[in-house]
Amino acid sequence: MGKHIDNMKQATVFSIEEFSVYDGPGIRTTVFFKGCPMRCNWCHNPEGLLPKIQVVKSPNGCLRCGACEEVCQNKDECIACGKCISVCPRGLIRFSGVVYTVEELFLKLQKNAEYLKQCGGGVTFSGGECLLYADFLHDLISGLKDIGVHTAIQTSGYAEESQFMKVLSVVDYVMFDLKIMDREQAIRYTGRSNELILKNFEHLKESGVPFMVRTPLIPSVTDTKENLTAIAERIKDSGALGIELLPYNKMSGSKYTMAGIEYRPEFDEQAEVNADTDLFLRYGIKVKIM
Amino acid sequence: MEERLQKIYDRFQKREYRNLRRDGTLMPCKFYEEKNLAVRSARRLLEAVDAEQAILFPEDTIGMMRTVKTIPPLLTEDEAKEIRANYFIFDGAQVGNISSDYASMLKNGFQGKREEIANEIKKYSAECKEYYELYAMNLTIDAICLLAEKYRKEAERIGITELAEALSNVPLYAPRSYYEALVMMRLVNFALWLNGNKHNTLGRFDVYMYPYFKADIASGKLTREKALELTGEFFVDLNFDADLYPGVQQGDNGQSMVLGGMGADGEDVFNELSKICLEASLAINLIDPKINIRVSKNTPFSTYYLGTLLTKQGLGFPQYSNDDVVIPALMEMGYSQEDARNYVVAACWEFIIPGVAYDIPNVDALSYPDVMLSAVARLEKFSTFAKLMAAVKGELTATCKKLIANTKNIFVEPSPFQSVVMTDCIKEAKDIADGSKYNNYGFHGAGLSTAADSLAAIKKLVYDEKKYTATTLKNALAANFKGYEKLHADCIAAPKMGNNDDYVDEIAVELTDCFADALKGEKNERGGIFRAGTGSAMYYIWLSEHLGATPDGRYAGEPFSANYSPSLNVKFDGVLSVIHSFTKPHLGRICNGGPLTLEFHDTLFRNDEGTQKVARLVKLFVENGGHQLQLNAINRETLLDAQKHPENHKNLIVRVWGWSGYFNELDIAYQNHIIKRLEFLS
Repeated sequence: MGKHIDNMKQATVFSIEEFSVYDGPGIRTTVFFKGCPMRCNWCHNPEGLLPKIQVVKSPNGCLRCGACEEVCQNKDECIACGKCISVCPRGLIRFSGVVYTVEELFLKLQKNAEYLKQCGGGVTFSGGECLLYADFLHDLISGLKDIGVHTAIQTSGYAEESQFMKVLSVVDYVMFDLKIMDREQAIRYTGRSNELILKNFEHLKESGVPFMVRTPLIPSVTDTKENLTAIAERIKDSGALGIELLPYNKMSGSKYTMAGIEYRPEFDEQAEVNADTDLFLRYGIKVKIM
Repeated sequence: MEERLQKIYDRFQKREYRNLRRDGTLMPCKFYEEKNLAVRSARRLLEAVDAEQAILFPEDTIGMMRTVKTIPPLLTEDEAKEIRANYFIFDGAQVGNISSDYASMLKNGFQGKREEIANEIKKYSAECKEYYELYAMNLTIDAICLLAEKYRKEAERIGITELAEALSNVPLYAPRSYYEALVMMRLVNFALWLNGNKHNTLGRFDVYMYPYFKADIASGKLTREKALELTGEFFVDLNFDADLYPGVQQGDNGQSMVLGGMGADGEDVFNELSKICLEASLAINLIDPKINIRVSKNTPFSTYYLGTLLTKQGLGFPQYSNDDVVIPALMEMGYSQEDARNYVVAACWEFIIPGVAYDIPNVDALSYPDVMLSAVARLEKFSTFAKLMAAVKGELTATCKKLIANTKNIFVEPSPFQSVVMTDCIKEAKDIADGSKYNNYGFHGAGLSTAADSLAAIKKLVYDEKKYTATTLKNALAANFKGYEKLHADCIAAPKMGNNDDYVDEIAVELTDCFADALKGEKNERGGIFRAGTGSAMYYIWLSEHLGATPDGRYAGEPFSANYSPSLNVKFDGVLSVIHSFTKPHLGRICNGGPLTLEFHDTLFRNDEGTQKVARLVKLFVENGGHQLQLNAINRETLLDAQKHPENHKNLIVRVWGWSGYFNELDIAYQNHIIKRLEFLS
């Protein structure tokens, strides 16, 4: 790790999941970085939106004793002072967000390196948007490669091109989201135009790094025939290993209460998703529903 | 499911067959006239068989169901009172939780057993103990033949010709087919329960049944499909009377089955029949038999995959035992190589040997938190953490000596029928209650993580950081943390076993080593040893209910984790860290049995990729020296809904401590424990 140490580089992580099975090949540890430039209407990870440290409360097991409210001096807007954490008799309140230096995170991930190698897995960086921390990521991935750990990123593709290229130069595997191909619709539902994403997709194609496209299936938003066709057109002959479709999870809103945000989906949550795998097969694209 | 099997399954689910049962008082109970308890036991079995009414349904080809609810106790009230006053009584004093020698029973038939008895009984004069033991054993053979004859007649009457024909051969003579072997096994299983035995295990089914299966497949008498159907029928039949079987909670009946593992020649025995058993269990989706798979470094991925399909179904089994750890550990305890390779599990997870052992692997339990608290009571006296640890170990050793001293003068009711189906009881003219080749006792070790976490919290807060004084900590515990919220939060935040943190894991290693050391070299009154274990059985509730708050942040009365698992009150880094932590102790030294439990949200299994990766994780656990593992696919929301609307979740199955049961039939404390252990599972 020595040559990659730069303790000036830091990143905020909101979760590290050790047994992540849908985030790349084999058994993976997934690191969720905090902060995201996108505002996808269906986001199921509200903790990942803001880069700052927050206080979150798990609703399971709450005794409604009121101790946390009693000590709170900033009821209107949480300032993440953490006073409520120590008074919760069930220990259900915690900070969301831990700041790591490259070395600290490397040492943490290294502890399971042998297990991950043994089962053909590795480490996946997700978020939020992991590319917010591209310099950090570049160094960390380089360190993990030195000890033989497979690395992957999961990205919205929304990042400065140079930042994306930097990570691309070291990472082993990329899961790249293509959510909405229409520019206006993209702005409406994800809060960002898709221009930068599509540019980065071209860089990805040229990089030679193995990649998988991922598309969340949101009823009448991303799962329309037009959108899926446009995605298929974009992927065919791109060298993508395939596409993974992620049907909308009706539990998406469940973490919002915890993060103290209101969940306001602008689509029909109850509608069936159109998981049209045949459409992709007709293009000769391997497709899988996750 | 095949239509015929579906009918049997539906009959079980409707529960109406239970209306055909009568009360046990219908038995004349003349057996009490008999003074010799072995003969009395045999006569009771004869009466019980006599009282049973054979009921079959047209779709049955194996069948058998109890029609008399209860078995009267072997001892009169006065006798029982006297014995209770003078002896150590364990689990009601009935034989059970052992594994029969089904292989030799099938091979010789009961006629073979009869001839063996006839040969042996000649050696004894009519009035001696041995004579009566053998005489009683012989009577029980009459009983099982009588039972078979009742069912044969009924089968003939309603026109189930294959069953009538099978019962004209088995159980007296060796089975001529896989089907007849199943009929014989069912009959014996039925009779063991009727005999008042407890926790009747099924042992290495894929070993002792395989010769019959293999011969029938080779001769073309049996197709794989038919074998699956018959096995499924046998499995469903094991469930019909399960509500009558005694246990701490319903479901705790010990009908465990072991598949795969090293054979006598050192090769893995996992075969086509093992696969059929897994498929049958998957198809019927019921709590019995409880499947265990023996695995090792050489077990192929495909076996784990088949096992994980069952896990996915939410049954709470299979449970895995690692031959690479268990066999050497058993040999170290004094079991021969041949016997060690043949190990099975008792009712839950304790390692025992079929046919030749009357081990009592659950005879008592050490409470790690209790010994820890005894030392913490003198916390001010210890100037260093090392001194505290020495005191904890002193308490632990002293407690073990006390447990050993209390485990003596045991009384077990004779069980001539169980004796007939053991390997050497006839030859030795000895009832199994009087012991076998192996007569070891085992102690569970409950609450390990609670104790290790507590000591880590003390080490950190009192000794290393000196954040709190010993007195403050003790006052906080006495106040159940009321008024000490900050201290409580610090306790919760201290290192926990399960996060791959040596700070706490090494304490667990010391505690478990100390447990093993305390029992090493100790002999029990039956010539056996004492084995240290990692199980908790129901002690995670029983030993915690009245225990005060502990320095890991656990409130007074809150349960420990079940068996060998991380505490309930913390969110952990994840399963890889848990596996790291729980493979650090020297598991070969504490190998009485008791699994690590891993819980997974059921959505993890939503597609095959998830299932494959869970299977890979189990393989990883085994490759890295874990001894025993049990996994759950579970969903907290479903359990909460089941508490509110039990009517909608009649078939919801959960794993409790060493067995699976119906959620609705559990006491609330056990229900809540399961719900609590899922709080941090998102």
